[in-house]
Amino acid sequence: MIWNPAILAQLAWTGLSNASFTCLFAISLALVLKVNRVWNFAQAGMMVVSYGCMLAIARPLGLPTALGFGLIATIGFSLALERYGFRPLRRRGSSSLTFFIFTLVVSQFCTYVAELIFGTEPTTLIDDVVTPISMIGDVAVSGWDLRAVGVTTALALMLAGFLRLTRWGQRLIAVADSPDLAELYGTSRDTAYAVGMTLAAILTTIGMLLLGTKAATVPASALQEFLVQALLATILAGVGNIFAAAVAAVVVGVGQSFAVLFMASKWTPLLVYALMAVAIVLFPAGVNVRAVLRIPSLAWARR
Amino acid sequence: MPVQYLITLATLAALSGLLAISLNLVLGYGGLLSVAHPMFYGIGAYTSAILAMHAGVPLPVAAVAAALVCALASAPLAVCSLRVSGDYFVIVSMGFQLGVLQIINNIDLTGATGGLSNIPALFDGPSRGALSLGILLLAVAAVMVLIQSIIHGPFGRALTAMRNDEDALAMLGRDPMRMKMSIFALSSAIAGFAGALYAHIFQYLSPTQFGLETSTALLTMVVVGGTATIWGPLLGALVITVVPQAIQFLQLPVSVSAPLQGIIFSLLVLLFLFLRPQGLMGGSRGGGGLDAWSGRRLIAARPGMNPAA
Repeated sequence: MIWNPAILAQLAWTGLSNASFTCLFAISLALVLKVNRVWNFAQAGMMVVSYGCMLAIARPLGLPTALGFGLIATIGFSLALERYGFRPLRRRGSSSLTFFIFTLVVSQFCTYVAELIFGTEPTTLIDDVVTPISMIGDVAVSGWDLRAVGVTTALALMLAGFLRLTRWGQRLIAVADSPDLAELYGTSRDTAYAVGMTLAAILTTIGMLLLGTKAATVPASALQEFLVQALLATILAGVGNIFAAAVAAVVVGVGQSFAVLFMASKWTPLLVYALMAVAIVLFPAGVNVRAVLRIPSLAWARR
Repeated sequence: MPVQYLITLATLAALSGLLAISLNLVLGYGGLLSVAHPMFYGIGAYTSAILAMHAGVPLPVAAVAAALVCALASAPLAVCSLRVSGDYFVIVSMGFQLGVLQIINNIDLTGATGGLSNIPALFDGPSRGALSLGILLLAVAAVMVLIQSIIHGPFGRALTAMRNDEDALAMLGRDPMRMKMSIFALSSAIAGFAGALYAHIFQYLSPTQFGLETSTALLTMVVVGGTATIWGPLLGALVITVVPQAIQFLQLPVSVSAPLQGIIFSLLVLLFLFLRPQGLMGGSRGGGGLDAWSGRRLIAARPGMNPAA
């Protein structure tokens, strides 16, 4: 029964669409890790800021205004984070411990402020999260699913285009590769770091918009759930592989969706935590999919 | 101000002190960034409570058993610390903490999300609070003496050397693996013992008490007091337990006072991170604090990762 192709296809599609916002969070985390060279645990704080701002505005003024307001607030917050947080710590030569404590505490601070303002009850950005469902073959596809997958794909492509085709994108890559050399060629590393944080803020805000129009959430979930999933994807992808992190997020999302075939849904978060610990211990540099695939193919060719 | 309130406050401060001292052993002296410490506190609390409630084990035996279980439970994390360090180890420890929390939240033995109540008390009678505090203060004093003797002895010097340069220490014939396992086991056992005392003093356990919020609070205590200092974490625990109590006098509802306390915690850490990273007890010239070890080596071990760049 559970191996019914229609059920499997439905699980795959649901996993894919639900992975959309995780995908954006993972790209955001991987981008800051690559460019700013910080494991940005404060991204959970960015999520809370964007969601809180959109939540305050969405009902009285509508979703588009809320998105605009959320973007401005989150970009401002992330720039302040870089300017008044990361930069002084970098200049002081602070240890990774200090960076970790700073980013974690910023996230906790934002969570507490949001709990103070909005409470701890789950909330959505809109009153009615149900969207029209159409059947494609045997698979039920909702309007939200299509929007989420479309927006995520478009944003990933736009970011890829920005990084590859624009001057500032190439400057970001240059700073990511070697900040000193990039500065020698006239690229300000501080500006590059600010651009990196701005892009991360945009991706995070849109991710939170997708999340808030799909399901109810609480401020604490940003750190304990969504950031953990983004961390897992970033680790699996390996440091510096922005788009591989997106792919990893999709793989993990679809995997979690299929996991309900084997275990109760209450245990699927445990799967993510276990996978994260195993991945980081066994593959601290990420999973090299090409190498993994090449080994059996070469063996086959030699035979 | 009622005496009972002051005793409860002192009890909480002493428990936090025990935890902070034990975390400082791993974090400050061992240079290992683990956020999973509250989980050992939780494992200890649940183990002791379950042994006492379901197996009728005497409380002192249950508390010692809880400490031993925590020492054993720390082994997987200690093994991971041999392979990864710095931020990577933080992430592993976070995964460990959230994973164990997920298990506690979903099994009947621990009472799941509802927690455990009616746990056998450490003492009965009207002076139970004062007696429990007395036991706790004795435990704090014993742990302080133990940590001080370790840090000032040959093992402590080797520990500091490991924190500063693990490879160099290994080349001198010391076994970093054994050292890491030892400090993790000791620190987790202390946390587990503190958890057992907590369970039998307050007689109620809930999974929410051992989450990331507690990790932040513990880090706050160690940072505010001064990492890699003997007295710093204890002082930090005192400050962090007592200062937010000011909010209690405002008579605010829990939905307001709880986040307000968290905001105060977070602001304190941020202030100390930027204005006094060495903490209250750390000296200005390498005498403890976050700058006692630079962490640059850990970062340099990862290609392309250097936040100091």
